[in-house]
Amino acid sequence: MQAELQAHIAFHLTGRMPQGEFAALTSSDLQPAIFAGYRDLTSLRYDFPLILARGGGQPVQSLSGLIDGALKDIAAGDEADRLRKHALRIERELRRLVAEGATGSLSKLWDLGVTRVGPKDDKLLQDSLRRLRAALKIDGEVVDCDKTLPFRLFQHLWQAGQDRKAQNFRADVNRLIMKLSDILSAEFVRSKEGLSAERLRASVGAAHQSDFDFDAMSRLLTESSVNVPMPESRRRRVRGLLSTLRAQRFYAAASDGDKGIDVGEPYSFVFEKCSDAVAAYRERLPRMVELAKAIAIARLELESKYSEAHHDAFFAEFGDNGLDPEDLALFPDYLICLGAADLAASESDLILQALAAGMPAKIVVQTDDLLEQSPLGSDYMISGLRSKQLASTAIGLGACYVLQSSGSNLFRLREQILRGIAYSGPALFSVFSGASGTGVPPYLTAAAAAESRAFPAFTYDPSAGPDWASRFSLAGNSQIDLDWPQQRLEYEDAEQQLVSETVAFTLVDFAACDPRCAKHFAKVPRTKWTADLVPASEFLDREPIDLVEKVPSLLMVDGDNRLQKVVVNDRLVREAHRCAEAWRSLQELGGVHNSHAAILLERERKVWAEQAKPAAEAKPAVAETTPAAVAPAAATAAPAIAEAAPERSPDEAYIETPRCTTCNECTTINDKMFGYDANKQASIINPDAGTYRQLVEAAESCQVSIIHPGKPRNPAEPGLDELIKRAESFM
Amino acid sequence: MTIHATECLLRMHDQHHELEDYQSGVPRWCTGCGDNAILAAVQRLCRDEDLRPEKTMFVSGIGCSSRFPHYMKTYGFHGIHGRALPVAEGIKMARPDLNVFVNTGDGDCCSIGAAHWIHAIRYNMNMTVMLHDNQIYGLTKKQASPTSPRGTKSNTTPGGSYLEAMQPLTVTLGVQNVSFVAQAVDWIPEVLYDIISKAFKHKGFSFVRIIQRCPEWLPNTFEPWMQDPLRTLLLTHENGLTLSPNLSKVYKTQERHDPMNINRAREIASLQDPIPVGILYNNPNVPCYEDIHNIGQQRSTRYIKAGLEAEFDKFTIWPQAADGKIQPGA
Repeated sequence: MQAELQAHIAFHLTGRMPQGEFAALTSSDLQPAIFAGYRDLTSLRYDFPLILARGGGQPVQSLSGLIDGALKDIAAGDEADRLRKHALRIERELRRLVAEGATGSLSKLWDLGVTRVGPKDDKLLQDSLRRLRAALKIDGEVVDCDKTLPFRLFQHLWQAGQDRKAQNFRADVNRLIMKLSDILSAEFVRSKEGLSAERLRASVGAAHQSDFDFDAMSRLLTESSVNVPMPESRRRRVRGLLSTLRAQRFYAAASDGDKGIDVGEPYSFVFEKCSDAVAAYRERLPRMVELAKAIAIARLELESKYSEAHHDAFFAEFGDNGLDPEDLALFPDYLICLGAADLAASESDLILQALAAGMPAKIVVQTDDLLEQSPLGSDYMISGLRSKQLASTAIGLGACYVLQSSGSNLFRLREQILRGIAYSGPALFSVFSGASGTGVPPYLTAAAAAESRAFPAFTYDPSAGPDWASRFSLAGNSQIDLDWPQQRLEYEDAEQQLVSETVAFTLVDFAACDPRCAKHFAKVPRTKWTADLVPASEFLDREPIDLVEKVPSLLMVDGDNRLQKVVVNDRLVREAHRCAEAWRSLQELGGVHNSHAAILLERERKVWAEQAKPAAEAKPAVAETTPAAVAPAAATAAPAIAEAAPERSPDEAYIETPRCTTCNECTTINDKMFGYDANKQASIINPDAGTYRQLVEAAESCQVSIIHPGKPRNPAEPGLDELIKRAESFM
Repeated sequence: MTIHATECLLRMHDQHHELEDYQSGVPRWCTGCGDNAILAAVQRLCRDEDLRPEKTMFVSGIGCSSRFPHYMKTYGFHGIHGRALPVAEGIKMARPDLNVFVNTGDGDCCSIGAAHWIHAIRYNMNMTVMLHDNQIYGLTKKQASPTSPRGTKSNTTPGGSYLEAMQPLTVTLGVQNVSFVAQAVDWIPEVLYDIISKAFKHKGFSFVRIIQRCPEWLPNTFEPWMQDPLRTLLLTHENGLTLSPNLSKVYKTQERHDPMNINRAREIASLQDPIPVGILYNNPNVPCYEDIHNIGQQRSTRYIKAGLEAEFDKFTIWPQAADGKIQPGA
């Protein structure tokens, strides 16, 4: 046994593989044990393939979701089972077709699938398929989780956003054009030329021309017109605005726009290089400023609010400091799709500068391979360093929307993607496609990268709130509170007994999927499975002191679905430690196991325990409560403090002003004594401006009885005794 | 789409208006009339929301209440009897940018204009409708209206009216697409203002029935309620009215009523004593007709002309030329 342990340790530390002890990991069908069930993806129901739907509604849908939706609509009664069975058959067929490389729209693939799914003379099957097809309300390109997925998906979603933007923009600009033209035509109609005999004749039409003397009509109208002509400067301005609005090239002109003016092709906003996009942006900026300015002035013109004295100076300098985000939001965003492998340092630098400057860009960086050669040696490291670094630096910019995800998760994160595309500032999307070219399906590689924390998913949305708690989210990762996600693995042992154990999926498992990492593993013959072989996840968790005479191992399955055990090289274990470190910092940002919060909680607990001590000594029977339970009680709102009524002398006359209904009774009696405040409610503005009799009469006639006459101020006023008596009921 | 610069500039040089800036002429309502309280509350709203007079429109029909537009220094339309709502709908359709208010009375709205009222609720166009309900025809000197309580003696019902009064709130709450229903009384100005303000902020057809005193023809009708605050049921809710502590002290009969609860709203609407005051129903999710009907087509001169021509062509008899061919446009 000692010899086996020595051999295991020797391989673990040095990579030396003695003859007979180990077998090299050459067979590419040796996969992590947890993958055993996922060998044939076409027989599984999962998110892919996706349909990039045309038209309104959800712009991206999963095939399974669509089929489920259709079944919900049509599968009922006796036929439900049959429809469901046939739906699953065609779904599997479509998935198979896509896996074989078929491309095209859903309707095209559906037709192809129908020919393969079963015989034509199977009437029930054909009936089910026809009804299912009718229940699928959408059509669009079908995409699988492959190398082309990220760019196609992002371009599709971006385009849907731009179409909406274009529609709003056109509606708005067409309205401005129409209203501005109305200003000019109204001016013309009132002008001398507009009131000429010919114009008047033309406007009456052929039928009744002989009934009028148009010359006399023209003379009369022209002479009696009090029209003040439009200032020349305004006419010039309105014409200038019209030509700017019509000549814009940021969006394709609307179909009912002016066809006479050829403004050239609309600009393209999709780029494959950041430098090209930045150059285009810089070149178009003066036109953007001009257009944004024209729209702003046009709105003022339409409100007849443009004042040359106020606004000329403002608009002369408009856009000198760039455009506001509100102005930029009018224009299309620049979609830049980049491959991380081709990302030169200068290009990365430019991306960050563009993002920092608030360029309205949506940048998609696609990573196909996470294995990178270390500059320090020929060995491979698992990192995807460039794209990950770009994403974390972009978060640091503060105002940039950042999303990182592997391709397998894109459908789950579609809402977050749409939010990023709709976000008013720049956005960076970093995606790992999984198409490393290793023979493993890209979906599996991408899912493994996400699962093993090699390429974790996160979103940073500056528009979601002011703090990290609302902005940063780890949604899209599984079991975010653990270092490594855990799954149940069930298998039969040599005695054909069911064994069930919990297996964690670590970076070591992810590396095991890649044939290029084969040298970091060595297969151990079943006879040499000793107790010193501990699962890699356990090995990663333990303190070094506990690892004496232990060697990390991994459960894998071979082509015959037999369980195998491999020993893992120390190099890979170190890499996994680094990966776990990076994940833990993400956890902290996402509020999971936050160290600051833990310290704070510990301190609060101590304080609470100390405070609770004397109370506990006094009342030993009191049940224990946690500080968390105490906090909400302390946070209850203070009781509302009633507004204090002003102290008044009973002799003083006054009105309960807030209750006044503005009925004019008192002001009609004496508008010097009673007056209205800013809310048009009455008060006594001068008690000496009238008699006590008027005060009492006002109190009697007040509909809501809010006038209190008090005591007479002039003892010499006649009839006071009677008045005081009448006033008593209003005291 | 918002234009930052324009909005900013408009505000920068916009004049702030005082309450008097919305006052036009001296109201010819009787002294003591509840209409004055409604006018004061509306002018206060205009000032507090800084409504631009040239963007604000008051539409009315016929009656005491319908003199309202004359006393507002904004645009106004003193329409024909019972037709305030269709006029207002036309204005809103053509100029959705205007703030449209409708002032109508119990005769104008609930009698001759009842058909328009029902359909205006269903259309749910964004406007604020104030039903000045004094339960009598006042301008024509005392005839019974649909909301006069049974037994009301008037020139048309000298022996007392025969029918039970119509309840405008239950009618409104029974129509499809109803989106905002409230009731106020003119003698609690603070609540009246709050309700009109909430109604104005609601996007949709905001219907506010304002129970209003007529000191001339029915001087004592509401006396018992004015004397006893306990006979007024104030509806409170965080999505409805929140009362000031002073008001709460006086009006102690209160109910916490969620304005989304239409069934309870209908029950409350049928109460006669105590009089419910507050927001009975408020559903911001009912679509407005002007939004649904928006066809996304610019109503340009060319578009309108083409539509008109197409209509005319249906009735045109083309003159025939000598060769028998039809000559369109000849």
